[in-house]
Amino acid sequence: MSYRKLLTGNEALALGALHAGARVIAGYPGTPSTGAIESLLALSPPGVPVEWSTNEKVALEIAAGAAWVGQRALCTMKMSGLNVASDSLYSIAYSGVVGGLVVYVADDPGVSAGMCEQDSRGFALLADLPLIDPPSVAEAYRLTRLAFDLSEAVGSPVLVRLTTAIAHSSAPVEVEDGEPSPAREPQLLRDIARFTKAGAAICMQQHRDLIARLEEAGRWIRRAGLNELRLAPRRGGLGIVAGGVVNAYLQEGLAIATRFGLEKETVSTLAVRAPHPFPAEEARALLEHVETVLVLEELEPHLERGVYVEAQRLGFRGRIVGKLDGTLSRVGDYDVSHVVRGIAAAAGLSIPPDLFTPRTDAEILVAPRPITVCPGCPHRGTFLAINQAIRRLRYKRDEVVVTGDIGCTILGMNPPFETVWNEVSMGASIGLAQGYVHGGVKTPIIATIGDSTFFHAGIPALINAIQYQVPLTVIVMDNGWTAMTGMQFNPGTDEAQQPPGNRRVDLERLIPALGVEHFFVVDPFRLEETSAVIQKALTLPGVKVILARQECAIQAGRRGLRAGPMPVVTENCNLCKLCVMLTGCPAIELGPERVVIDPALCYGCGLCAQVCRRGGLAYERAGGRRGGGAEERRGGGAEERRSRGAEGRRSRGAEEQRSGGEGAL
Amino acid sequence: MRTDAVCDVFLVGVGGQGLLTIGELLAETAVALGIPVHFYPYKGMAQRGGLVKAQLRLGRETVGPNIPPNGADVVIAMEVSEALRAVRMLRPGGEFLLFGERWLPTAVLLGKAPYPATEAVLERVAAAGGRPVYIPPDTLPADARGPLPANIFVLGAAMGHTHLGEVIPVAAVEEAIRQRWPRAPERNLAAFRAGVMGIRNELHELHEFYYSDNS
Repeated sequence: MSYRKLLTGNEALALGALHAGARVIAGYPGTPSTGAIESLLALSPPGVPVEWSTNEKVALEIAAGAAWVGQRALCTMKMSGLNVASDSLYSIAYSGVVGGLVVYVADDPGVSAGMCEQDSRGFALLADLPLIDPPSVAEAYRLTRLAFDLSEAVGSPVLVRLTTAIAHSSAPVEVEDGEPSPAREPQLLRDIARFTKAGAAICMQQHRDLIARLEEAGRWIRRAGLNELRLAPRRGGLGIVAGGVVNAYLQEGLAIATRFGLEKETVSTLAVRAPHPFPAEEARALLEHVETVLVLEELEPHLERGVYVEAQRLGFRGRIVGKLDGTLSRVGDYDVSHVVRGIAAAAGLSIPPDLFTPRTDAEILVAPRPITVCPGCPHRGTFLAINQAIRRLRYKRDEVVVTGDIGCTILGMNPPFETVWNEVSMGASIGLAQGYVHGGVKTPIIATIGDSTFFHAGIPALINAIQYQVPLTVIVMDNGWTAMTGMQFNPGTDEAQQPPGNRRVDLERLIPALGVEHFFVVDPFRLEETSAVIQKALTLPGVKVILARQECAIQAGRRGLRAGPMPVVTENCNLCKLCVMLTGCPAIELGPERVVIDPALCYGCGLCAQVCRRGGLAYERAGGRRGGGAEERRGGGAEERRSRGAEGRRSRGAEEQRSGGEGAL
Repeated sequence: MRTDAVCDVFLVGVGGQGLLTIGELLAETAVALGIPVHFYPYKGMAQRGGLVKAQLRLGRETVGPNIPPNGADVVIAMEVSEALRAVRMLRPGGEFLLFGERWLPTAVLLGKAPYPATEAVLERVAAAGGRPVYIPPDTLPADARGPLPANIFVLGAAMGHTHLGEVIPVAAVEEAIRQRWPRAPERNLAAFRAGVMGIRNELHELHEFYYSDNS
């Protein structure tokens, strides 16, 4: 049965995998790829394990293991995740697969989420793997299904790559909801020559097999007609090679260019949906037919280089227009203006310069809106405490390096905190910090990292610091969730909030077990205590780890929890604005004489009251002193696991924060 | 009703305003009517208070996610300062609906950064060849429970006061609202209808000025 449904690219890809018979699905959250597994977790298809793994490498190995016993498996990640998984990717590519293995990677040209504009097609080249690059949401569904067939037909993992503009977009998709494919019995293959890398003979044979599989994939892709060549009736015109999403702009672009004199019947096109292996035969047929070739693709000139190679083989005498001749940019995502600019350059059209050149005299007036942490975010307390501790030790702010990491904890780089100095990759804060120490920095070094990021890649770096006894202070900001990507559970999430049967890995037990001598657990909503602990840690020798623990306010708030009552603005408030200046809390507004706290936004963390110097905000935290506050834990003393965020917090019932018409943002 | 009409809509505001719900409702309506649609939301990194934008492309069977600069037929802006970001997207002659809510960033609150005047925003829209339609935030109706949902009110205003109402029928959007909140659509429907109907008579003089000038 087939029906039309509005789906996001991520949903379409996930559903495509499910309908292709994927029986094991694993990934790690990362914008813009997160929605794929989110949608499958919401569906919870019976008999199909769907999981957020500890990191992308683990996820890929899980999917590959399943594929090696003959199941179809999907693995999902953002482009940065493919870097993490790549070590295993190359090796698995050498071995090939039995069941279909599709690796979904989402690239982010135009940078919607703040990371490198990495072009994952390059990974396909490095790993000798076929890559499919669907040009639309609807094709994300269709081509993901096809990718599993390809993977099984040639015995190779297949990469499917979406970009943000497709992964996040919604469009109608023709869904074919057939009979569920029958469950497969796992087959156990013990084949040393195939599944190990023991020795040169084995590895080089696997390399030969890998190349053969890639060539076979090329023939399969050609038979399936994924790369669509349309030659114009007349020879000697313009040939356009378009990759992935750029194909979606072609029609619109050709229509505009026609207005400026392009003769449409002289235009041949090669729509590339599978850029690797490079569609050489189609490219040669195009080159033999046209005088000028225009290559349109976002990010790196992968297709364009392929065109140059074929042009050289054929002795092509015409022009090749794209990035390598400087016409188009390797930076940012594309829209139809890039297509039109390319056509104009290739076909010699003159396009009015102001056609796509916008007025910019409006946006210069925009009030800057740096992203800050949410009302009630526990990281606010940690950033304030770090700044206070540095100040109290009489250091200037630019004398104490605070390395940063991926996730919400990086928001400490922004005002009003300006605590965090740098951001590299998952877990990098702790390694970088050690480099600063070895590099001769004499002032204390602080590394900040979130809980999910610590699980993902922070633990090996901490072990390194412990082994070499590098003096530094690591602050693990544990809010119990993988928050930045939209609240996924992670190994440290409270068990009651995880799928049934999962077990929580408690950082409060894990970190001291590594051999950290000075280990502290603090409640970041207690500013003085947290700051005093950081201050102390900065003066102690060796590796110090502070676990700043308090649940993400968004997630706790969804369960009707509050940290405490809303502070009461007293007559002592003289509108000095110190609370706004230090906390930047969006729940505080300025009234005519005093500050006003928005009850719909306030989470009752009490940090504003704690930074007020004149008693302008009265706050008493419910539940009194929290047991977990500011104490040093030595050694690996096993304690009873505690449920997160239960103490010191009273439920005020689920306050409606949003009006009816607003969706979940 | 012109279901064959092509219409590119650019939406801009801040997190927490429900801007994306406007786009989703329009996209769902289009699907129900069989109008080709592509909806590309951008949420940024912020849960609340950060920039939110979205692009809705109606009427083309094959269409890329991004509207080009100078390409949007209709802009729906829900925050005065962020609205300025959409001016580059507006087609000359396009309609620019501005709901005049102001979400002040902390630096503005502290007096450390300027915030644009609503008049300045509307002037830039007009200077770019756009047709401003201004909706003062105090025209948002309230009932006993408080103000009605502003985003659905703005959606109604866009349907009633831009040519979006000619591409998608008002009744079909009402149906999408009912489908989305089947148990209690009343407040949203009230907000929507108030947006469609109620504005013309309650317009701020700014709007009178620009609207009469350009239409």
